[in-house]
Amino acid sequence: MTQSDPIFRLEGVTRRYGNLTALNGIDFVAEDNSYIALLGPSGSGKTSLLRVIAGFEAPDTGRIWFQGRDITDLPAHERGIGFVFQNFALFPHLTIFENVAFGLRNGAIKVPDAEIIDRVRASIDMVGLAGLEDRNPDQISGGQKQRVALARSLVMQPKLVLLDEPLGALDANLRERMQTELRTIRERLDVTFLHVTGSETEALAMGDRVAVLDAGRIVQYDTPDAIYDRPIISDVALFLNRFNLFEGTLKDGRFHGPFGAAPVSSVRANDTDVYAIRYDRTRIFDADSSELPGPALPVRYLASEYLGSSIIFLFETADHKTVEVDHHLSLGEPRNLSVGQNYILSWDPAQAIVFGKEAAQ
Amino acid sequence: MSAAIGKRQKATTFQLLAPGVVWMILFLVAPIMMIVYVSFWTQTTFAINSTLTLDSWRNFFASEAYVGALWTTIRLWLIVLTLTFIIGYPAALYVGLMVKSKTVATVLLVLCVIPFWTSFLIRVLAWRPMLGKEGAINIILQKVGLIDTPIEVLLFSELSVIIGMTQIYVVFMVGPIAFMLGRIDRNIIEAARDLGAGFGRIFWKIIFPLSLPGVVVGAIFVSVMVLGEFATSGALSGRKVNLLGNIIVTQVGSLKWAMASVVGVILTILLGIVVAGFLRIVDLKREI
Repeated sequence: MTQSDPIFRLEGVTRRYGNLTALNGIDFVAEDNSYIALLGPSGSGKTSLLRVIAGFEAPDTGRIWFQGRDITDLPAHERGIGFVFQNFALFPHLTIFENVAFGLRNGAIKVPDAEIIDRVRASIDMVGLAGLEDRNPDQISGGQKQRVALARSLVMQPKLVLLDEPLGALDANLRERMQTELRTIRERLDVTFLHVTGSETEALAMGDRVAVLDAGRIVQYDTPDAIYDRPIISDVALFLNRFNLFEGTLKDGRFHGPFGAAPVSSVRANDTDVYAIRYDRTRIFDADSSELPGPALPVRYLASEYLGSSIIFLFETADHKTVEVDHHLSLGEPRNLSVGQNYILSWDPAQAIVFGKEAAQ
Repeated sequence: MSAAIGKRQKATTFQLLAPGVVWMILFLVAPIMMIVYVSFWTQTTFAINSTLTLDSWRNFFASEAYVGALWTTIRLWLIVLTLTFIIGYPAALYVGLMVKSKTVATVLLVLCVIPFWTSFLIRVLAWRPMLGKEGAINIILQKVGLIDTPIEVLLFSELSVIIGMTQIYVVFMVGPIAFMLGRIDRNIIEAARDLGAGFGRIFWKIIFPLSLPGVVVGAIFVSVMVLGEFATSGALSGRKVNLLGNIIVTQVGSLKWAMASVVGVILTILLGIVVAGFLRIVDLKREI
């Protein structure tokens, strides 16, 4: 299989719970041998989507294709798709070894004992848990449980592994280590990971491609940098948490917002008129400065957050909306600002992203 | 200094334990010791005195009726235990695992308990019009034409005692098993499915082992109650089935305290062995 062949494909997959539509006609094609991050706020239907692909739930309408085969009506245990649960779901009465061996021992295909031992050992080695084979799940840490859950799926040599917020239950330090590890493990095994997460940093850091799910639809599917630089609708920009968003009106090629009127070069289709400028593209000027690169937004300085490599300055507009400016320290020393003082924020209008109803028509 | 604190903590521990210890000594240990002691007393026809003798013990093991009652008790206990498990487990599986809504599960469990709102004896005696020669079951079977003459073995036999006990005690098996099954994380079952295991495999490798503590607790409940039974056998066997419990009742009734004590001690030992045996199957402290 080449890189571009799809590993799985969703056609108009819809799932309703009573009045609630969790998945709303999802069409999706996933490349083989890639790391796909599925990003969405809570309630966007990410877990439902994963459970439908795994076969734990059937879609109300739509088809699911896996390795060129329609698996919509195939029960979960015949699909051969790996699933890593957020709470790990280890078998509490079995040792680590037997947890990992479970699929080989109890699956449809009989695997000889010698092969089981080899494969389980190799799998436990790969996730770095050699020596813990005889422990019980309640005798290991959260991070180790996560690895067991991963080894238990990977030992079955699936072509697709679904990970449901796999790092959600880990502390920050461990999360970062597991991020790199998940990527290396995947690259070694020629397998596709579909990693569901509610964290935009995690999704952008891990995915070869990122699918953004909003209200039961995949609104954007692209590379992390494309998502970051060119969010397709204002909801994506909002969810990325890297943009100052302003409401206003788009009229005759100019956007009228709290910063006055700004020239607009291109407009993306959206439900409402929204003007977006990235935190790190927004710059701070004195209140009486006359050399602004673009629109002028009068603000009051509130506070700053030191992040190590950069500083986030928090401002407030006249209508009490918080605006953020991200100053990377490699660009030089930050300005000294005094709390409560008025400043002007400005930016190069060419770097702004404008969403508008007009473009939708 | 730390020794003084340790001493004070020790004193506190003793004070906190004292009420429980006193209670257990007064109402459990002392009575059991008393029964053991009385079982060695000398029994004459109309009186009993505290001269120690092995006579009652010898009489028990020399009497075919008494030893027979011991074996009947053990046989009935094993049959009823097996039946309550075979009938109770699927019911518990349905209530604890298949029913998704917690409310429905609770309602179903309460339904199981509703018969307990009537007295124990009424529940036992209610089987007579069901099982009798002219009882409901025989009438229905005759009307349907499955049998010509009534089945007489239904009532006043070992079978009727087994039916009665199974019906009365099965709920004590359902409760603990349903509780353990309800605690199983659904994701674990889904994980097993995802790893390619079919329903049978999932049941035997995941669900049953995880419900085992419930089975053990249920089995202990049923065993303790069935081994000490006398009312069901009294009411449904027509005096044909004698359990150790029935012997204790008749012996106490005729003021044969020594023999009643012997049977009491044997029953207590039997219960001890059974409970200890069940507790060896699972480590309940770890599971619950």
